[in-house]
Amino acid sequence: MHSRWIRFAIAIAAGIGLGLLVGWAIAPVKYVDTTPDSLRADYKADYVLMVAETYQADGNLGQAMQRLAFLDKQPPLQIAQQGLTYAIAVNYSAADVNLLNHLIQALQVATPTPKGGSQ
Amino acid sequence: MNDRRGSWYLLTGLVIGLALGLVYAWVISPVAYVDTDPSTLREDFKDVYRSQIAAAYAATGNLPRARLRLALLKDANPATALAAQAQAILAQGGPQDDARHLALLAADLGKASAKNTPTAVTPSLTLSVTSTLTSTPIFSPTPESTPTVSTATPQPTQMASPTETTVVMVAPTRTPVPTLSAPFILKERQQVCDPSLPEVLLQVQVTDAAGQPLPGVEIRVTWQGGEDFFFTGLKPELGVGYADFEMTEGNTYTAQLAAGSQIANDLTVPDCSQTGGANYWGGWLLVFSQ
Repeated sequence: MHSRWIRFAIAIAAGIGLGLLVGWAIAPVKYVDTTPDSLRADYKADYVLMVAETYQADGNLGQAMQRLAFLDKQPPLQIAQQGLTYAIAVNYSAADVNLLNHLIQALQVATPTPKGGSQ
Repeated sequence: MNDRRGSWYLLTGLVIGLALGLVYAWVISPVAYVDTDPSTLREDFKDVYRSQIAAAYAATGNLPRARLRLALLKDANPATALAAQAQAILAQGGPQDDARHLALLAADLGKASAKNTPTAVTPSLTLSVTSTLTSTPIFSPTPESTPTVSTATPQPTQMASPTETTVVMVAPTRTPVPTLSAPFILKERQQVCDPSLPEVLLQVQVTDAAGQPLPGVEIRVTWQGGEDFFFTGLKPELGVGYADFEMTEGNTYTAQLAAGSQIANDLTVPDCSQTGGANYWGGWLLVFSQ
């Protein structure tokens, strides 16, 4: 009787193993139809840089905010700041960092800050 | 009693284990999509991403960087994807600037493979955007006569996390944006009689003063009760300064560059004759030059 329970437990473990084998090796998850908020930080930062490059050329802040909103549900300013943080962390060129700073400064002016200065 | 139950309990255990694994995978700890790359984005999001790449390229002229960014989308043919998206935008009446940026990037990507100037070619894509002619003012794009100079300095820029393969950006190379300020003349206007063409085409080539083909130039064609716009460079395989429009027999067309040019009037579908005597519909070739 005791060995029967052991074999039963082994069968359960084998079932779990089989499930993992199917899930991880035979038919692994394919990432399709994902949303922009799931993008890795470096891709997000590069997207923010693209927006900054475009803003530098056309000066259209409204469009820049719209483009940033594509990336995440967070406020555009926050998205841009996260991009800048990443850019500095991985040593983007000074010119690119300047572009990001320029965009952030414009967003800060356009984004009303609550009284008291807290965000 | 135990013997009669046999080994079914093993199968039961296996099924229970499988169920536990699935419950864990689907309910307790379901897949969370994080740290994905642009190639996994839904198609409509990819389109936005692609448009942004084109807009950034139009702003900086940094083709190597645009190439790297496009590579992230893993399109089979980035130039074709750009051109197709530009055409889709035009067909849906979307932002003209977006279409122009996409067309410009598509054209610049295809420059290397499109050195020959086509005269009578077989189109792979056909643009067909028709709108009723109303009192709406003629669309005129904002000329990019003062292209913004890229501020990027020639030093590498990382675009990947330290744990991943690092993509090194190369120094920017300014790609000239077509200058639309100088006037264009209708340098050439000729009938094209080629029975091998599957469609009746109004083919347009636009070149600058040096004879270099110009991508991203908008062409306006009107006829009784309708008008249409199309861009050069949407078929980079046929030349970056090339564009075409499918004509309909019975209409009389007028064509000119939207930014201003001489006008080609009275363009009707020509009646061509084969050597055997059979007739077929021909087309037109217009060459605009600065």
